[in-house]
Amino acid sequence: MVVSKMNKDAQMRAAINQKLIETGERERLKELLRAKLIECGWKDQLKAHCKEVIKEKGLEHVTVDDLVAEITPKGRALVPDSVKKELLQRIRTFLAQHASL
Amino acid sequence: MPGLSSGQGGAEGRWQSSEVPGTHQHPPPPCVQPCCRPLCYEQSERRLHKSLQMKMEEMSLSGLDNSKLEAIAQEIYADLVEDSCLGFCFEVHRAVKCGYFFLDDTDPDSMKDFEIVDQPGLDIFGQVFNQWKSKECVCPNCSRSIAASRFAPHLEKCLGMGRNSSRIANRRIANSNNMNKSESDQEDNDDINDNDWSYGSEKKAKKRKSDKNPNSPRRSKSLKHKNGFSVCTSASNTLPLLFSSSGELSNSDPFKYNNSTGISYETLGPDELRNLLTTQCGVISEHTKKMCTRSLRCPQHTDEQRRAVRIYFLGPSAVLPEVESSLDNDSFDMTDSQALISRLQWDGSSDLSPSDSGSSKTSENQGWGLGTNSSESRKTKKKKSHLSLVGTASSLGSNKKKKPKPPAPPTPSIYDDIN
Repeated sequence: MVVSKMNKDAQMRAAINQKLIETGERERLKELLRAKLIECGWKDQLKAHCKEVIKEKGLEHVTVDDLVAEITPKGRALVPDSVKKELLQRIRTFLAQHASL
Repeated sequence: MPGLSSGQGGAEGRWQSSEVPGTHQHPPPPCVQPCCRPLCYEQSERRLHKSLQMKMEEMSLSGLDNSKLEAIAQEIYADLVEDSCLGFCFEVHRAVKCGYFFLDDTDPDSMKDFEIVDQPGLDIFGQVFNQWKSKECVCPNCSRSIAASRFAPHLEKCLGMGRNSSRIANRRIANSNNMNKSESDQEDNDDINDNDWSYGSEKKAKKRKSDKNPNSPRRSKSLKHKNGFSVCTSASNTLPLLFSSSGELSNSDPFKYNNSTGISYETLGPDELRNLLTTQCGVISEHTKKMCTRSLRCPQHTDEQRRAVRIYFLGPSAVLPEVESSLDNDSFDMTDSQALISRLQWDGSSDLSPSDSGSSKTSENQGWGLGTNSSESRKTKKKKSHLSLVGTASSLGSNKKKKPKPPAPPTPSIYDDIN
């Protein structure tokens, strides 16, 4: 019973993800997010943070894993509320459009 | 089911990793990437798989309640943000490894040098941006000081050189004064334009005056070109009556109208006064003590008044300009040339006493090869002025030929001959 519910849940999510990619909406959302983040200075903030991290570690010992581990939480936190709201709104609209399929 | 947790990289606990095991057609290969980029590889692998598996089953999204949709939206959002972070990390990593990550860093000293200045009155480089605003220039013509930004327009008007400005202004003045005399307006305007042309070279002692039909623009132009210098073709006989700076004017109390503010002639030089009187009415108002700046046919004043003013300023033989300007306006032809042409030459040496003007006149006559004949009497009348009038009954044609010849210095022999 639990297993079948989880199964159904995962299936739905996978279907939504599929739709996102197929319709190209995912790419559009990504592009929108990137533009918004550059616009609001998120990239610059994150870059400053990166500089600290890299100076700390030394230029030679920087790996992508380290960077991801250091940067991603910070990056998530730094996204402005307005950008987050707009993006979520667009995702919801997309879901509402495709929920009736 | 046994394969429930078979998603790769499921440590993050995100929904992509919790794939349904039963639908796996091709289990993703193990991560073959070097440890440097595991996340990106895994993510793309997962997406590929999902798209493959979704092709097999079409699912209806209906029936999902709002909270679930909201949760899905949040997950999609988190996924997108993570993507962006990942892309950024790749970018930074590449920059670090290629060595250009710290390129835009400069030392604080030079940063301080190029800091953006944010102070009132300074531009962003810390320079005063309105330092030229208050600069003033002194007009060489009227000796007033004018703001530098207004100097060029002022000079244009003051010198009367600009074709358009003076022409438009004068036409407007003329039109506003005698609306019903359009024909004569045209003549006036021509006079004015000619004056504009001639100003610059007035002081070069090359002043000429033609009594006959001075208003024809073509004629005046041809004069200019033939003689190689500009010709003052003012419309009247008042031109020769340049008023002498030393004698007559001071004798006749020139400061009578001292309190005038607008067109005040005591501030005007002889040239300006003469120009003014040949282009404008010039009658002095009783109340304002200013000169009337309207056209020569200004209806407010009578010819008698204008004559009186000219006699007052320029001497007893002043004649109203319009007396001559009523002549026909056609271009230069033989009848023109044969008519009486009084040429005026101003030697520009204002220190000459009236008695000298005779000699200067004759010398110029000689220099220009112009006969003196019919206007002898007039010349004697105007001996006091520094302008010498040369009546040339000879045609303009002869004048043309003499053009390149500069005025010769006075030679006593010819002087004696003429006199």
